[in-house]
Amino acid sequence: MGVGEVVSEFAAVAVSIDHEGNGPRLRIEDLKTGHVGYLDALELETLAWLPEGALHPLLDPSLHRWRKPAPNGGHH
Amino acid sequence: MSTVDATAGWDRLIEHDRVHGSLYTDPAIYEAELERIWYRTWVFVGHVSEVPEPNDYVVKSIGPQPVIMTRDKQGEIHLLLNRCTHRANLVCDAPRGNSSAFRCPYHGWTFSNTGRLLGYPFNSGYDGREAKRELGLGRVARIGIYEGFVFGSFAEEGPTLLEHLGAAREALDRLVALSPSGELDLSAGWLQHKVKANWKMLVENETDGYHPQFVHSSIFSVAQSGIGELYGEESTALSRDLGNGHTENDLRPEFRRIGQPLGWFGTTPDRVPDYVAQLEAAKGVEQARELLIDGSPHVMLFPNLFIAEIQLFVIQPLAVDETVQHVTAVQYKGAPDMNRRMLQQTIGSVGPAGFLLADDSEMYERNQRGVHARSPEWVVLKRGTHRERLDEDGHLVGDATDEVPQRAIWRHYRRLMEAGA
Ligand code: FES
Ligand SMILES: [Fe+2]
Repeated sequence: MGVGEVVSEFAAVAVSIDHEGNGPRLRIEDLKTGHVGYLDALELETLAWLPEGALHPLLDPSLHRWRKPAPNGGHH
Repeated sequence: MSTVDATAGWDRLIEHDRVHGSLYTDPAIYEAELERIWYRTWVFVGHVSEVPEPNDYVVKSIGPQPVIMTRDKQGEIHLLLNRCTHRANLVCDAPRGNSSAFRCPYHGWTFSNTGRLLGYPFNSGYDGREAKRELGLGRVARIGIYEGFVFGSFAEEGPTLLEHLGAAREALDRLVALSPSGELDLSAGWLQHKVKANWKMLVENETDGYHPQFVHSSIFSVAQSGIGELYGEESTALSRDLGNGHTENDLRPEFRRIGQPLGWFGTTPDRVPDYVAQLEAAKGVEQARELLIDGSPHVMLFPNLFIAEIQLFVIQPLAVDETVQHVTAVQYKGAPDMNRRMLQQTIGSVGPAGFLLADDSEMYERNQRGVHARSPEWVVLKRGTHRERLDEDGHLVGDATDEVPQRAIWRHYRRLMEAGA
């Protein structure tokens, strides 16, 4: 079920509700790369309750996406 | 700058009733103005209604400086420099948006909407994270808000915003008083008009009561407007020096003489019944009637905010001979019938096909070309010197067509330029 696109000058994602699993989850597609991520109901509720700025550490590009792979080949 | 400081005193360029043409054309003077006026005094940036929701932002300016006005999650307003702290890319490009953080498109550095550096890609290229704290976005040193109008000053210290506004704050009070809700909504968007002229040509013209009958005669006749006569030799309207370079064409004496509510807007109460009823409910019938007779202010707040009754103009210098005027329609929060008319009139007078601003702009550019002539060297501002007087509040006033405002602007300008020497 499509929900819509959320676009700014910095990012563009399409969000929809995915029903492939045993329960629904939010599907987020990065429209610039096609990369897809999911958030379940509990994760979303947690996001809704995040205090101001709590998400900002995750906006450090080096944290996950833009970093050298770890020596063991892991990415996280 | 140095040539100006070392040679001519400002008193040799700015006399009581005439100013030297080089003030409009000399690039060194323009550079000195940026430092002593635009990057020192209070400059209007935007209105809180342009960022109504948490994490809203708009791209703004202080003279040539690119500024982002943000509202953070807590509701607080910030004025940040729109310049990446890495290698100076513009961080925001869209005129407005909603985002708690910004990402520079050049190398992907991210910043919170309060200016903090959140991170950069591939951080192993930087040893340690300590530098992060120092690499937040630049910010305008001081921010002041009056009646929702957001001003910024690059000077850490100096007069407060209220001291700077002085008597002219009453113009903002009068503007807001006409809104039944007591609030303005300035989110209609801004038209931009670029002219090849020095910014002071515009500041001087905004409260020049001598030119409307000539320059604007065509729009007055097409619109069957009586405004032209208010700027005539018979008019009881006043030109006024409000102090600190702020100036006014006060048309209230004429509107009070005529005594017609909404006459200033060229309409009658039966055309905007909802608005009039709302204002009467908010202020009482008597005060509403007085407000509707007096009308909206015509005041130039030095150096860059012109309140033109139903429009706001923001003056942005880009070079000694290049200036952008940003224009928006005044909208009263919650008064749709009146707002529709103000928007229509704004589009008609200053929109792409509008007469009013096009006529003025033609004059600015002709002035700019003319002032390069080798002789005479001076611009004459003598009109009404023999009949200027103090009003009951102690402000210098003159007749409607007198050059009291222009002399006031230059007196203040000279004080600012001398103070920076
Ligand atoms: S200039 Fe902004 S990330 Fe390099
Ligand atoms: Fe390239």
